[in-house]
Amino acid sequence: MKAVWPVVLLGLSAAHFALADSGDAREGLTWLRKMASASNQINYSGTFVYQHRGLSETSRIVHYANPAGGVFEKLETLDGPAREVIRSNDQVTCYLPSSKTVIIEQRNARLLPALMPERLTGITENYAVKTGPRDRVAGHECQVVTLEPKDSLRYGRHFCVEVRSGLPLRVRTFGEKNETVESFAFTQLMVGGSFNRDKVKSKYAARSQKWRVDRSALNVSERPADSGWVINNQPAGFKKLMEVRRMVSGRADSVAQIVFSDGIAAVSVFIESMPKERQGQTLTHQGAVSIYTRSVADHMVTVLGEAPAATVMQIANSLELRTNAAAKQ
Amino acid sequence: MDKISALMDGELDERQARQELVRLRQQRELRESWDTFHLIGDALRGDALLSANLKRRVSERLAQEPIVMAPRRRAARKIVTYALSAAASISAVALVGWVAISTSTVSTQPEIARAPAPAAILPAPAPQMASVPSEGSMNEYLLAHQGFSPSTAIQGVAPYIRSVSVSQPAKNR
Repeated sequence: MKAVWPVVLLGLSAAHFALADSGDAREGLTWLRKMASASNQINYSGTFVYQHRGLSETSRIVHYANPAGGVFEKLETLDGPAREVIRSNDQVTCYLPSSKTVIIEQRNARLLPALMPERLTGITENYAVKTGPRDRVAGHECQVVTLEPKDSLRYGRHFCVEVRSGLPLRVRTFGEKNETVESFAFTQLMVGGSFNRDKVKSKYAARSQKWRVDRSALNVSERPADSGWVINNQPAGFKKLMEVRRMVSGRADSVAQIVFSDGIAAVSVFIESMPKERQGQTLTHQGAVSIYTRSVADHMVTVLGEAPAATVMQIANSLELRTNAAAKQ
Repeated sequence: MDKISALMDGELDERQARQELVRLRQQRELRESWDTFHLIGDALRGDALLSANLKRRVSERLAQEPIVMAPRRRAARKIVTYALSAAASISAVALVGWVAISTSTVSTQPEIARAPAPAAILPAPAPQMASVPSEGSMNEYLLAHQGFSPSTAIQGVAPYIRSVSVSQPAKNR
């Protein structure tokens, strides 16, 4: 993976040779790379504020990474109803005490190498990478790096990257008019600290034994599959990362999932057989994630991702069942 | 109209309130303006969830009220009704405007217009749709997507806050 870098940088410096900001872009990419590897190498704990469309929520996060590649995390909301998300390597468990529900989501790590953000090749094609001034967030010095989208198919990102550790202390996702779509910012952070299993355990671990546990996503792990579906009008800069058939919590039958990414944003397409209650098309959002559903050829299609509504709609609207391949159920 | 807002503000005595509730049940337009008033009130207070409950509570309360078999009101009342329904429509327009402003990041002109999508490929002209906040019905998919997003690789588990965000009504979980 790392071997890709010299090639990317070479390509970059060639592409940006004539541009005054070539050094700027290169420096920005170096920061991005540092940021991308930080979460696999650094332990930290802190409090962050998540803001989206006028709402804000404060959460506590504890993150441990070990040299063997293990990642253990705990996210605990501090406002409103209590909720916890525990990640133990590739298993993510959401505890929702207000409804006494546990949702378990498992990923197949073997399918993931292509998704690691070190693969930033697409980034400079789709975003202008710029470094800004030094700033301070939660008492830590950080470097401003901005990804300005080159078209309206994607959102821009503003990062403030902690100078020593490379942790993103502030991440702002912005739209075409520079309006904030969503933001994460630490208000308190401690970098370092040694692994403590208890700190990444849910306080509901024992109590939740009697809760409703949705572990359907665990029964069958995802496997590569040709879904038989194609996107005729793929948004520029988005590449297909994977195509699997998998279980999803709350769905009895397996679902096809196709993931596209432009290097920063990802869009997932979910295709399931038409539920009994046929639904019309809907367009919603959750933070920076746009969610669009429609029916295609007796299937229910849900497209969602951290991208503007037009992008997910373009994917959904150009989805077709290949004529020579029936969708495998 | 005055009476409705007085009722809403709890300024009517019991007898007047009862009369007004009967009237509300009988006249759809009045009920709409009642709903609209409450929606506006909720929106101004920033309480998006209250309205649905309140609407239901009011409906339930109305259903419990004894049915009054009264002759239809005379013409004078009709004029009032028309005026009220016009007022209700105007209020509804004002409300829609207000919601559009308060969720200003939701473009009423979706980006669809700018998407360089060859029309031939699109199965139908893309409708003008305004995005509304998700009610959490897609959280399983959001969760299934999250693990594959570079933003998760960069920010760790933090973006999972979206999947469990309070913007979803508790009933969906």
